[in-house]
Amino acid sequence: MNVLDAADLTVRYGGSVALRDATLAVGAGRLVAVAGANGAGKSTLVNACAGWSRGHASIAGDVRLDGRSVARLAAYRRARLGIQCVPEGKNVFGELTVEENFALVPAVPREAGRHVFSREDVLGLFPRLHERRTHKGSALSGGERQMLAIGRALLAGPRILLLDEPSVGLAPRLIFDVLTVVRRLVDDGLAVLLVEQNVSAALDVADELYLIERGRIVGHGDAAAMRQDERIAQAYLGGLAEVEP
Amino acid sequence: MNVAQQLVNGLVIGSGFACVALGWTILLGAARLVNFAHGQMYMLAAFICWFALTRWGLDFTAAAVVAVLAMGVLGILMQSAMSQLVVSQNLTSLMIVTLGFGYMIQGAAGLGFGGSPHALASPADKVQYQIGGIWFTGQDLIIVTVTLALYAGVWLLLNRTRQGAMVRAIAEDPKLAQIFGINTWLVYVAVFMLEAVLVAIAAVLVAPKTPILTSMGFEEVIMTFVVVVLGGVGNVGGALVAGLALGIFTAFFGALVSPAYTTAASFAVLLAFLTLRPEGFSFR
Repeated sequence: MNVLDAADLTVRYGGSVALRDATLAVGAGRLVAVAGANGAGKSTLVNACAGWSRGHASIAGDVRLDGRSVARLAAYRRARLGIQCVPEGKNVFGELTVEENFALVPAVPREAGRHVFSREDVLGLFPRLHERRTHKGSALSGGERQMLAIGRALLAGPRILLLDEPSVGLAPRLIFDVLTVVRRLVDDGLAVLLVEQNVSAALDVADELYLIERGRIVGHGDAAAMRQDERIAQAYLGGLAEVEP
Repeated sequence: MNVAQQLVNGLVIGSGFACVALGWTILLGAARLVNFAHGQMYMLAAFICWFALTRWGLDFTAAAVVAVLAMGVLGILMQSAMSQLVVSQNLTSLMIVTLGFGYMIQGAAGLGFGGSPHALASPADKVQYQIGGIWFTGQDLIIVTVTLALYAGVWLLLNRTRQGAMVRAIAEDPKLAQIFGINTWLVYVAVFMLEAVLVAIAAVLVAPKTPILTSMGFEEVIMTFVVVVLGGVGNVGGALVAGLALGIFTAFFGALVSPAYTTAASFAVLLAFLTLRPEGFSFR
């Protein structure tokens, strides 16, 4: 059974359709990447799984967590059930210290399927956060903020982690660090849905990849197979030169 | 003029201002909500206390507790009625809706309690102290100490507890708070209830000093707006400083110029202050 199943997700902002009939699945211990151009609907897809949106979105379709439909639940209920989303852009509280951001996390119920991380585990993954624990979120660097956002999501006992462009604005070295940490978590059994602009970096760590264009999922396959996909090679990997005949 | 006496008077008046403004400070600053029924809620709390005192024959403390509990319930009911507006942070509509609630409360109180003035008699108001030629009542002493205790308590709640962090998180970004698993609606209800309880506490402390009328309301709490803005919107420490400073200003202005124009003078100070220091007494 998959950890997350999204079926026929359609998202509208006002009159315009941002995502149409998207269906995707993420299994345990799988790192599933979503790639596509800017504005293709990647963030919309991830946020719709979390039942969340910055604007006024209307979301249709089904989302199942470990087989149970959560489509009618508010974003905060889904978060408590273990759909942990790290949105793009502002994803930690700037007015709160690192410690306080962590302290907001509700106690994790003892249920099967939850990946439980202690504060020590999280600080072990991101030692920088320990040094910065009394600093406000607004005083952190972009990378530290991303670590805090991911660390906070881990502390909340995820069944699945939804990461929306965790590498945006980060130095290449940090992108590698963050993605390496994510891969390690997946190898330990966590399910992760990753939106990544850097398709090459995503393919290096992901097991599967969904390609999304103009609000529709247009391709899906194992990372190795998708690397050979012409559309991906041309649009994201710098032309046909890298594709073997 | 007895300077020390005016200073004490100012401290008492200022504590009253600060006490009445505390709920509003939290509401606006911490949760980014407004409540223009604040004055009528103050009035209603005073009348519930008066009713329990004179009609049910409760002693003052018990009557005060009844008033505070009743206002807490009213706060929850009001917030529930407005929940859609609150969750969508529709401040313009909230202003009008709370203003409407205020007039409904005033109308209902007029029907229920009549239009004539009453005295909310607190036994502590009869106790007089004199230290070194300075006079004050037991009620004055209670106003100052309870106000300071409430400010300390609220500061600790906001800055030292998980619940306080939740309130500050929602003030900063209610959408993001949902991702963190926070039920924002419930937090808004709790904050609004706290505002109602705090204005009720302020009413049972301060209202015994003047006659109470069901038509009093907005006028009675007008200084709240000066205190909240002077203090640097939503800044709890700033509101306390602003309240005390305004009280001392009011006492001296009343003694030196005329008590009739203290409100106008306070707003003049506010205007001057905002021109020179738009962030108020903010300590950040």
